[in-house]
Amino acid sequence: MRAGTILRAVWLLVAVGFMLLPVYAMLVVASAPDDTDLRGLVFNGFHLPENIGVLFGEGNLPTYLRNSLVLCVGTGVLDVMFSAAAGYAMAQLSFPGRRVLFALVIGTLALTPMVLVIPVFLIVKELGWVNTFQGMMVPGMISAFGVFLVRQFALGIPKELLLAARVDGAGEFRIFARIAVPLLKPALITLFLVHFLAQWDNLLWPLIVANEQELWPLPVGLANFQSEVGVTYHLTTTAALVTAVPPFILMVALQRYYVAGLTFGGLKR
Amino acid sequence: MADLTRRGLLAVGALTLLAGCGKDQPRQQAADGRPHGEVTVWLHGSQDTGGQFQELVHRYIAEFQVDVKLLYLPVGQLDAKLLTAFSGGAPPDVFKIGHWSFPAHAKKKRLAPVDTKALPLQNYEPGTTTPLTYQDVPYGVPIDFNPCMLYYRKDRFEEAGLDPDKPPVTWEEVAEYSAKLTSKDRRRVGLQWLYGDPQWALMMLTALIQGKGGELVAAGGAKASLATEQGRGALTYMAGIGNPTLSNPLGALGLFYSGEAAMVVSGAFLGPALEKLGKDTLTFGKQYGVAPMPTWAGGPPVVPAYTWGWGVAKDSPNQFTAWHLVNYLQGAPSVTANLDNGIIIPTKGWRDAGPRGKSEIMKIVADSIPHVDFGPIIPGTLELAKAAASAVDSVAHGKASPAQAAATFDSTVRLVL
Amino acid sequence: MSVLGRVRARPQATAGVALTLPVAVFFVVFWLVPFLAAIYLSFTDYEMAGTPNWIGLANYERMFADPGFLNSAWITVVYTVCTVVPTIVLALLVAVPLSKPGRLNRWLRALVMIPAVMPLAATSMVWVIIYSDHGMANTLLGLVGIDPQSWLTSSDLAIWALVVMVVWKSMGLFVIILTAGLQALPGEVYEAAAIDGSGAVTTFTRITLPLLRRTLLFVLVISVAGSMQAFVPAFLLTGGGPADATQVLPYYIWANAFPYEHMGYAAAMGMVLLVAMVIVSALQFGFLKGGDE
Repeated sequence: MRAGTILRAVWLLVAVGFMLLPVYAMLVVASAPDDTDLRGLVFNGFHLPENIGVLFGEGNLPTYLRNSLVLCVGTGVLDVMFSAAAGYAMAQLSFPGRRVLFALVIGTLALTPMVLVIPVFLIVKELGWVNTFQGMMVPGMISAFGVFLVRQFALGIPKELLLAARVDGAGEFRIFARIAVPLLKPALITLFLVHFLAQWDNLLWPLIVANEQELWPLPVGLANFQSEVGVTYHLTTTAALVTAVPPFILMVALQRYYVAGLTFGGLKR
Repeated sequence: MADLTRRGLLAVGALTLLAGCGKDQPRQQAADGRPHGEVTVWLHGSQDTGGQFQELVHRYIAEFQVDVKLLYLPVGQLDAKLLTAFSGGAPPDVFKIGHWSFPAHAKKKRLAPVDTKALPLQNYEPGTTTPLTYQDVPYGVPIDFNPCMLYYRKDRFEEAGLDPDKPPVTWEEVAEYSAKLTSKDRRRVGLQWLYGDPQWALMMLTALIQGKGGELVAAGGAKASLATEQGRGALTYMAGIGNPTLSNPLGALGLFYSGEAAMVVSGAFLGPALEKLGKDTLTFGKQYGVAPMPTWAGGPPVVPAYTWGWGVAKDSPNQFTAWHLVNYLQGAPSVTANLDNGIIIPTKGWRDAGPRGKSEIMKIVADSIPHVDFGPIIPGTLELAKAAASAVDSVAHGKASPAQAAATFDSTVRLVL
Repeated sequence: MSVLGRVRARPQATAGVALTLPVAVFFVVFWLVPFLAAIYLSFTDYEMAGTPNWIGLANYERMFADPGFLNSAWITVVYTVCTVVPTIVLALLVAVPLSKPGRLNRWLRALVMIPAVMPLAATSMVWVIIYSDHGMANTLLGLVGIDPQSWLTSSDLAIWALVVMVVWKSMGLFVIILTAGLQALPGEVYEAAAIDGSGAVTTFTRITLPLLRRTLLFVLVISVAGSMQAFVPAFLLTGGGPADATQVLPYYIWANAFPYEHMGYAAAMGMVLLVAMVIVSALQFGFLKGGDE
């Protein structure tokens, strides 16, 4: 039994070590003074602060970072608001068109974005939103996943609670804001987190719709980095590291909700 | 209600589509022959000439009070972005794209013909604007014009007992020398191809097939076939030389630099690039030399070439200024600065623009202009080139016989052309 | 309930419609209309210019004569199987010991999340460097006497280079999900098994796996769907090349839509991919239902 425990610990350390190797390589290359050594095994001094300084001093990284934050926080908040309203209503209220809407939401869960890119682009163009923040933000604003998540969660709100409030004469909107939203809070935090992470990683859509560097979020900027004059491998890696930091902080702070969101589909019906 | 909504949605969908597709008429513009307003330019960055280019743009802005906006994009993303911009009706005024992209855009009426009042076309070497011309209308001007030539390592030739001053002249000799230059384990080879690169695969097949009197693309671009005697012969020939499993981050050019490859087909840019690489600089005439593109024994000279080109959008409200800017960017200071880096802007007298114009490499370029072949100038070149790379790669790796690869190529391109 | 319900039906309907209206409008405008447009396009010869002409099933027939499509479909199958199976097996091998309580495990569980939250664009950047000629992959192989390889530029290796990266990236995610699933299993069952004297392997196959079935299915469904739709790795690491070796179907669809402008054909392939995904998901759920009985 003792030997088993040690064996298990050794296996875990080796496995996790291998999983962290690329992260380690990223740290090493991002801390290098130049890009002559790309092995990523041995630290050659620690120049990470200087490299970050270079990126924030001359490059477009601060712009990309700001755009990504605006994009992710902005659409995240909107997604939470709209999904909370719709998810709650679909779970607890009876109104015409509820079933149709639910079918629509479930249907979009299965759609692959690849085929929709051009039609969505044409719609955004008709709205005059090409090369604007709203053009980048709105099409990805509400996710079927979010509505579905909140709905499933809202099904668990006891009917009696809502009924009691109605008997007390509370209006439907008041019930939603005062009773449902506080109860839905864990699901809403999870949704914000999942939405933030997904948008933080969104490359395809901003690439298509944003024509000015001023508007680019991090993934587009990062993909474009090599073509900027004077940018080299170690600086690209530093930029990649900077890109990875905000999701990581958010994740550490809200780990509980993240795991809850991920396991949502696996544990609940 | 459901029924009504559905029909309404379909109508809205169809409308959105049509609205996006039907915009063919160009916006009206003031053709007053004076540059003004705003011009956006999309291009890919270059480490070598980027600084000079930006300086030139600033000078233009100061001189003509035109607001020029530059957007640098990675080569791999520029085409896709340009297409969405075109279909969205909001293209940049000026863009730099490969010559292979011009026919498709021209066919779809997205390009503005060259405004010869702003940009005199007769300044260019005859033949170098051909690939940017579609159905007799010129749509662009060339930059980074590259006819192929043969680079060879003199040191490797000497080692193998070959005369370092007598590079191979025919493809037969290339094969013969390659056999002598290839080590037993094939870690060191004679001629190395640029495996996996579509444009280069297309160029090599063009040279080998056309040099034997065959045609990769026939009937004015309506039909392409590799399943011909010459096509299968070209694939067999390519598979017999080089080693597709050799690796280098810079590809075949890196292998040439390291000496693992004794010969490589490339353009004029390679010479200056080799001088800048790493610590062990290669010197022209010492470690390496150049020779004109080989021909088949007794066959005609065929020099495959490519070029990038400046184009202007038909929807641009400021076409005169756009061409005026292009003309400025192609002027004498650019020709000189580019020539220093081995990049050719083929305006007349380009060889006199700088000391490098007198080099052996540039002499080969000048001599090859009459025999230059840009390959098929048809929409669909991208797919043709990709299919060519697949065919060459699968035969080289022994995954398919020349006949099988040629048949696959034919059934792929039949759907495209 | 019924009387009260009827009395309250109208305000509920008003509130329900009001609360769902923004979402309904959004889904109609940005999902349903584009989806219907894409279906329509798949029956046309739309080439990103001019008017789409109705050509019936020609795009769908074209797929079966197109070596590019057949090759891409095959690569997608290989890529999906070779990413999903090792990811789940490896994740399970890590998650089972990792789900046990303990201070070390708590730390390791936090560390495992790092790859999972790395943005894909950043991940790709790092792996380009790992796969470079003098990068980590070749250096480590050199230690055991294997020659350096050109991971991303060899048509034999490139697809496996992508597979390794994706396995690494998604493994962290699945370890977290499986660990959470394992921790939610009732402890008494294990105590009973220990009293019975069952070995570790027997406990795992007889007790853990069946109890974990639902979590495993979830992991399977999202990883299969993710792999079938994977576009960014090929886009950023290899551009679908060299010589089509990493041209997974989503990339081929993208290439047909963008450089080649065969929008109608791309839409048709998108529909086929969609149908394939629905069928595969249905099969997986059917598998679970069968297991429940």
